[in-house]
Amino acid sequence: MKKRFFAGMCAVIATLGLVACTSETGTETVTETTETETTETETAETDTETEASSVIDLSGVKLKSDGVLSVGCEVGYPPFEDFADDGTTPIGYDIDIITAVADKLGLEVNIINTAWDGIFAGIDVNYDVVCSAVTITPERQETMIFSTPYINNYQSVVLLADDDKTISSFNDLDGMSIAVQKETTSDILMSDYKSTGTIDVQIVANEKVTSCFTQLQNGEVDAVVVDSTVADGYINSSDDFVIAYKDTAEAEQFGIAMGKENTALQAAINQALAELEEEGYIQETYDYWFGAAAE
Amino acid sequence: MKTGFFKQYSRQLIAAAVILVICIVLAILKPAKEELMSHTSPEMQKMIEADASSSRKRVTVTYNDLFIINYASLSTSGAKVMSEKYVGFVGRVYPADEGVMKVTGQMVNYTYRMLGCRENLMHGAKLTILLTTLTVIFGVVLGTLLALAKISKKKLLSGAAGVYIFFFRGTPLLIQLFVVYFTVPGVFGFAWRDLFSASDTEAVYKGAFLAALIAFGLNSGAYCAEIVRSAIQSIDKGQFEAAKALGMNYFQTMTRIIIPQSVRRMIPNVSNEFIMVLKDASLVFAISLMDITTVSKNIMTSEGSYLVFIPALVIYLVITAFFGFIFDKIEKKFSVYE
Repeated sequence: MKKRFFAGMCAVIATLGLVACTSETGTETVTETTETETTETETAETDTETEASSVIDLSGVKLKSDGVLSVGCEVGYPPFEDFADDGTTPIGYDIDIITAVADKLGLEVNIINTAWDGIFAGIDVNYDVVCSAVTITPERQETMIFSTPYINNYQSVVLLADDDKTISSFNDLDGMSIAVQKETTSDILMSDYKSTGTIDVQIVANEKVTSCFTQLQNGEVDAVVVDSTVADGYINSSDDFVIAYKDTAEAEQFGIAMGKENTALQAAINQALAELEEEGYIQETYDYWFGAAAE
Repeated sequence: MKTGFFKQYSRQLIAAAVILVICIVLAILKPAKEELMSHTSPEMQKMIEADASSSRKRVTVTYNDLFIINYASLSTSGAKVMSEKYVGFVGRVYPADEGVMKVTGQMVNYTYRMLGCRENLMHGAKLTILLTTLTVIFGVVLGTLLALAKISKKKLLSGAAGVYIFFFRGTPLLIQLFVVYFTVPGVFGFAWRDLFSASDTEAVYKGAFLAALIAFGLNSGAYCAEIVRSAIQSIDKGQFEAAKALGMNYFQTMTRIIIPQSVRRMIPNVSNEFIMVLKDASLVFAISLMDITTVSKNIMTSEGSYLVFIPALVIYLVITAFFGFIFDKIEKKFSVYE
């Protein structure tokens, strides 16, 4: 008898689970359709607009799936990309930019969340472009091509707020232990300082930038070297950290990365970015995510 | 015993000796570091000279000496990107910018980085081997104690051991690692790094290694406990009774009769556990240590070269083969009781 009761319970739980899943899929489909609808209407608008001004030529552009711009993105790098409070919708500066670009091109956006490790290997395999706070570097340009830059960024050093060290250049990090996010420009820059013998620094590389700040808070490392835009976000949300140094001499530029053969897409995206810049959309979005006062 | 060993493995030993001799000859013929460096272009030489007096150096000089072959690369950062690569092999220096030599150079460089040469002990293959060996030793000792506690007649003791095993086998190792490294110091207000002297520049890696060892050891202890318990319980009950009849107490029975016999039955499972830990060691990426897997993943992301996984596989197989051989020997040694 007991056994039968147990089996019954199992069945009930399983059914409930199934029902829950189905209802979820149901809502998802609904939102998707509405989204598609809005995109369609927007596309229509853009079409009329572009007819009036200039038509962005999409002939010769090869996409993973027709009418959809698949975007590789490491969601978890606020304020560039992060999940909204519902835990599933990606939001952020990059998301706004790429959505606007796709709108201009009359494409739908499909954000594919992927790990930063190997994100570039997925270009032309899993997605068409990568828009994930990617710095344009000569090394990367050997294997991929970039759109025109859509934001400037600086490398910065973050310390604990009660730390009295003064950092006036990266050379002052000599002898310290610092945390960086693995394979980011911060990592590449600090590794370069170390490998060329400029300074002796212990580099602790993490998968997620959030781990770097936890390590700083726990006292495992002395400083975090990170993109100034990300640092701004942390400083705004917590009093524990301060930006001790910002390397304003060497600006880095973020671009949308895509496969080397995809020059037609590059031209189309560049045109869309130029139009967005002209319309003031990029500045508007920047002010929204980083605050009008932020440099 | 010794002659037996030589007789048994005479063929393998001869092969190893031949390979060793060839390697030594190749190592002697290999061009020196200076020779490799003398091939650099005048512009690069100028950059290196300029670096000597500069506070922001630009040239990265990599020199990898892999016993029979060596590799040097010079690359600059900044706006003017220059890169020169050379491979030295059997008395000659080859430019390694393209073709077969490029791949050879990459292989040497990747292997060098994965082995963690010229790095501290907490890096690459050294980290993997050190962490795995210490974890399994720690795990077997802790596991034996837990197993004895679990089969003990004292309810409290066996209950506590049961809960411990349940907890550590029932939660993922990665989360245990996070808890030991991030949560515990956060809650108790200490830093792993501070356990080592402040002047030690490598304290941050040592701290992370200690945290990893604790997490891995505690986890492995739970798995080993079950291995040891099953081995002890597989010994015939009659042995306990016979020992009792001879007037031995519990401690004597365990250490002289039961455990020596159960060791042989444990070895295959402990060997399994060892290989599992060897591969689980890659989880240390989460607390910023770099084992073989993490190094190879990094190389793949930064250089986009999939060739990197070939040396990684070879290194893993060599480690597994070596330790497999050792476990085989131990098992044979303890077989005398059967």
